[in-house]
Amino acid sequence: MATPAISTVGLGKQYSGSKVFALNDLNLDIAAGEVYGFLGPNGAGKTTTIRLLMNFIQPSKGGANILGGDVVKDSVAIHKEVGYISGDGGLYPKMTTTQLLKYMTELRPLKRRKALAELIKGFDVSMNIKIRELSRGNRQKVAIAQAFMHEPKVLILDEPTSGLDPLMQEQFYQLVKERKQQGAVVFFSSHNLAEVQKVCDRIGFIREGKLISEQSISEVAATAASTFDLTFVGKAPAGELKRIRHAKVTQHTQSHVTVYLRGDLSPLFRTLAHHQVASINQREINLEEEFLSFYRGDK
Amino acid sequence: MIPIIKWTLWQRRWSTIWWCIGITAFITLELSVYSSIRGQADQLNEALKSLPDTVRSLFGSQDLFSPVGYLNSRVFYLLLPLMLSVLTIGLGSSLIAREESDGTLELLLGRPISRGKLVLSKLISGLIIVIAVALVALVVMLILVKIVDLDVPLSNVAVAALLASLLSLLFGTLAFAIASLGRFGRGASIGLASLIGLGGYIISSLESSVNWLGYPAKALPYHYYNPTAVLNGDRPWMVTGVYSLIILVLCLIAWLAFRRRDISA
Repeated sequence: MATPAISTVGLGKQYSGSKVFALNDLNLDIAAGEVYGFLGPNGAGKTTTIRLLMNFIQPSKGGANILGGDVVKDSVAIHKEVGYISGDGGLYPKMTTTQLLKYMTELRPLKRRKALAELIKGFDVSMNIKIRELSRGNRQKVAIAQAFMHEPKVLILDEPTSGLDPLMQEQFYQLVKERKQQGAVVFFSSHNLAEVQKVCDRIGFIREGKLISEQSISEVAATAASTFDLTFVGKAPAGELKRIRHAKVTQHTQSHVTVYLRGDLSPLFRTLAHHQVASINQREINLEEEFLSFYRGDK
Repeated sequence: MIPIIKWTLWQRRWSTIWWCIGITAFITLELSVYSSIRGQADQLNEALKSLPDTVRSLFGSQDLFSPVGYLNSRVFYLLLPLMLSVLTIGLGSSLIAREESDGTLELLLGRPISRGKLVLSKLISGLIIVIAVALVALVVMLILVKIVDLDVPLSNVAVAALLASLLSLLFGTLAFAIASLGRFGRGASIGLASLIGLGGYIISSLESSVNWLGYPAKALPYHYYNPTAVLNGDRPWMVTGVYSLIILVLCLIAWLAFRRRDISA
């Protein structure tokens, strides 16, 4: 295997005054061109991991490498090729977007001037308004622009779509895909599981500072429960449906049920064949259910 | 480094301008009235002698109405170092700490800049602001000394201003070093630096009247600050050198403290 673009070995962080590790023995290997989703509830260790990778905090044990360099010793060289969005979105409130982006460009010159113009146009970034006067969503667009404008090889993004409207979220996913096609590695923490499903190649689930599972999106999808909304002509056969192995049934009205089914779907369709079905709607794979099942300990 | 210095100065441009206006106003107010009291200087000094030593020592001189005594007591003993210290302590406790609490420090450290260069950039920015305000104060003083005909050599006034600026910078770099320690330091920096600055003034003023304050006073920078001697022609290069050395040591402490510590989220 080629050298991973991002790797951690036994990475751990114990904050001073705390008896527990906020992050413990994290081992990751993420290849160039891969989009890695990092999922976990609040306080699980996602932001701690990101802040360790960015060298904002010092590891208590283990280490991490980005593009072959040590994140502590080689941080200056590494940061030439890293784009970062912080979860808190700290931007200079008294500056206009133009001023902020000019400042950031002076600290790390652009490879292509056109790249910034494209971002500004694509995200419809408000340029001449003070950042404190921008809405949460518009501030997030500025955060995206400053992270992507120098076309970095590594993107470390903490909840990057928070505050964005659905249209801008789609624009952002497209941007991530473009960077991925150009060989960039993207480390992406999120609560929004649907977006992880859309853009990530692999997902790491973290709980209480420990990576508890890593799966590719296709693995998650293969083992995930399918969800069907079924409407019957007449009374729904809820009792029959409940007898299907691994099926969970929720009855909404006499004729409308929702069936959650993990694994083989054929028993469901054999049952449906004996009834008059008015409509079948399959929902998208509910990654959220998969996610929650990890935290409930179902998996 | 240059972009950080440039944008830090840009961000602080209005507060720096207001500091210049404020210090100009105070100095003008203090010095412009000298011409109206000059004729009564002898009587006023006689009246002053009737006050207890402790009270007189708080003015920094036993002679308040001669040209040197007036300039010392009205500007150099308290006003100038106090105003410059408020400026430097404010800068020292906020140049990095405010960026950290606002979350903007991550924007800077996420760029290819070392922590050492960041500390140096912020120190240079602070130094430029202090020099600008101190220079305005000096120019205003030199003009007023001429206008109101205070018989003090201008070079002496300039050296006294340099000494007051260095003393204030010492308190500012102390605040900067404490703030660089992290979350605890940010809260403590203004308090501790002000305590050593203002406490030093009070202790050093009273040490001639209160015997037991003599030893603690010797440990404080204010004890060695003697603008009367400078205005009379003394050149305290030793004190200037020691102040500068302490400032450098405090900068080094700030760099060492900031180099490897965790940045607050």
